[in-house]
Amino acid sequence: MSWIKVCKTDDVPENSVKKFWAGGGTIPLVIARHKNGYRAMPPVCPHMEEPLDVSGVVAGCVLTCTKHLWAWNLETLELQGEAEKPLKTYDVKIEGEDVMAFISEELVYEFDDEDDMDDDDFFNS
Amino acid sequence: MPARNHSQWMAKPPLADDEWIDSRIYSDQEIFEDEQEKIFKHVWVPVCHESELPKAYDFRTTSIAGEPVIICRGPDDEVRAFLNVCPHRGMLIERRPSGSFLEGQPSGNPKRITCMFHAWQFDMKGNCVYVAREKEGYQDRFCKEQAGLRRLRCEVKFGGFVWVNLDDKPSVSLEDWAGAPFECLRKTLDEEPLEIFHYHKAVIDTNYKLWHDTNSEFYHDFMHYHNRVTGFNDAYFARNNEAFPHGHVVVGTFEVNYENYEGFESRGELSFPHLPPNQWYMIDLFPGFNFNLRGSALRCDTVTPLGPDKVMIEFRGLGLKSDTEEERITRINHHNSIWGPFGRNLHEDLIGVAGQGTTMRPGTEERRILHGRQENQTIHDENGMRHYYEEWGRWVDRSPSQPDQAYSVRQGVAAAE
Repeated sequence: MSWIKVCKTDDVPENSVKKFWAGGGTIPLVIARHKNGYRAMPPVCPHMEEPLDVSGVVAGCVLTCTKHLWAWNLETLELQGEAEKPLKTYDVKIEGEDVMAFISEELVYEFDDEDDMDDDDFFNS
Repeated sequence: MPARNHSQWMAKPPLADDEWIDSRIYSDQEIFEDEQEKIFKHVWVPVCHESELPKAYDFRTTSIAGEPVIICRGPDDEVRAFLNVCPHRGMLIERRPSGSFLEGQPSGNPKRITCMFHAWQFDMKGNCVYVAREKEGYQDRFCKEQAGLRRLRCEVKFGGFVWVNLDDKPSVSLEDWAGAPFECLRKTLDEEPLEIFHYHKAVIDTNYKLWHDTNSEFYHDFMHYHNRVTGFNDAYFARNNEAFPHGHVVVGTFEVNYENYEGFESRGELSFPHLPPNQWYMIDLFPGFNFNLRGSALRCDTVTPLGPDKVMIEFRGLGLKSDTEEERITRINHHNSIWGPFGRNLHEDLIGVAGQGTTMRPGTEERRILHGRQENQTIHDENGMRHYYEEWGRWVDRSPSQPDQAYSVRQGVAAAE
């Protein structure tokens, strides 16, 4: 894929996070608008899959997931607060009134697999 | 016999020791606590049906012997049970009766069980996956790897029911516990998946054993006009109450003549796999679970004792998952017309046990409760109850007719006499 139009600049007010579907409705993403621009990223927090359009709060240049206070500077992508993993982002450019994202494939986070502990001896150990 | 004075009324009945019981076993707080501790914390309890948790991350909550329990289906399709208690500060983790963890909650993330109190989180296998500000508070002294949920023994068996045992090392496996009484319906219930179509519960001011008694004896069909009309034929009286190890009883099958009752139709057209039409089966499991199949509908009762004189009974109705819409409507009609909650029979049974509960409130004088009918173990014989109370006596170590005495001692006395 390539540069894809995601939304209008006015669709995302400053200090907010909105969810959109790109690629013909197949790729979910959020646009976060901070003090100095826009960021496009997967729609969930890399910590516990929390939907960022619900729990993400933008203040100045900082995006915070309010569930467990993982936070990132949206301008520099620096980790802040409790964050232990970086954000993955799509490149963004503004063309006129359109917010465009460069999407070659869907970005996803790896979440820990649940440990397998279903051995027969579980209740006897 | 003329009316009796107090001492005549209180005299031991002229029946064998195992043919009557002392009503204090239905009303005494200490005996109730003994039962919770010695029976319900060690037996296999059918907590729900797997079709009540059809999708990954679905859950239900319940309680066994006062212990809160949560049952959930993992992304690997396994159904697991845990104590619904947070290992941090003992908070009840999930408050809803049922639901799904797939979507996030105001206080919890998607795919996690979250304790809303301090945001500790667990996955569908009971692993603790998140302790809020773990390092700041516990440094390296305690970590989430040490904070898993208490997992409980849980099996899906006998037609897809979910069985939980609070005891990690139960005295018998679920198969050995209930395999023999389920044998008569095993092919029928395991041929294809069942699905729940009815659930209601009733909290009744009575002792749970009185409910189970009513499910175990059919002498009380004199209360059920519907049963008298549709059921009292030669085959009805030819049925046997068959006792199985561990206090269970199975009442043999017979063919019910539904068309004898005005407004009812034969149920011949809709049955369960491998069953001839209009059949009737009942499996009574110690200490209070009942499976009743009436041709086209399966009913399951489970009791949760809440006190010596209070019981919650959950009623479930099931058909086949493969039912067409029309078949399902027929099963629901058949289920509701007999059982209800407002069918022909169920409320009559509830009147019976509620009336018993009224005369056996805690503090009332003990009464002699008779179950001494002997009719070659056929349907109006009370051998099913005698079998049950023998098992009950062993589990709580009390004589049902003289509950102040140990069961083992009482057995010795009886042998000597």
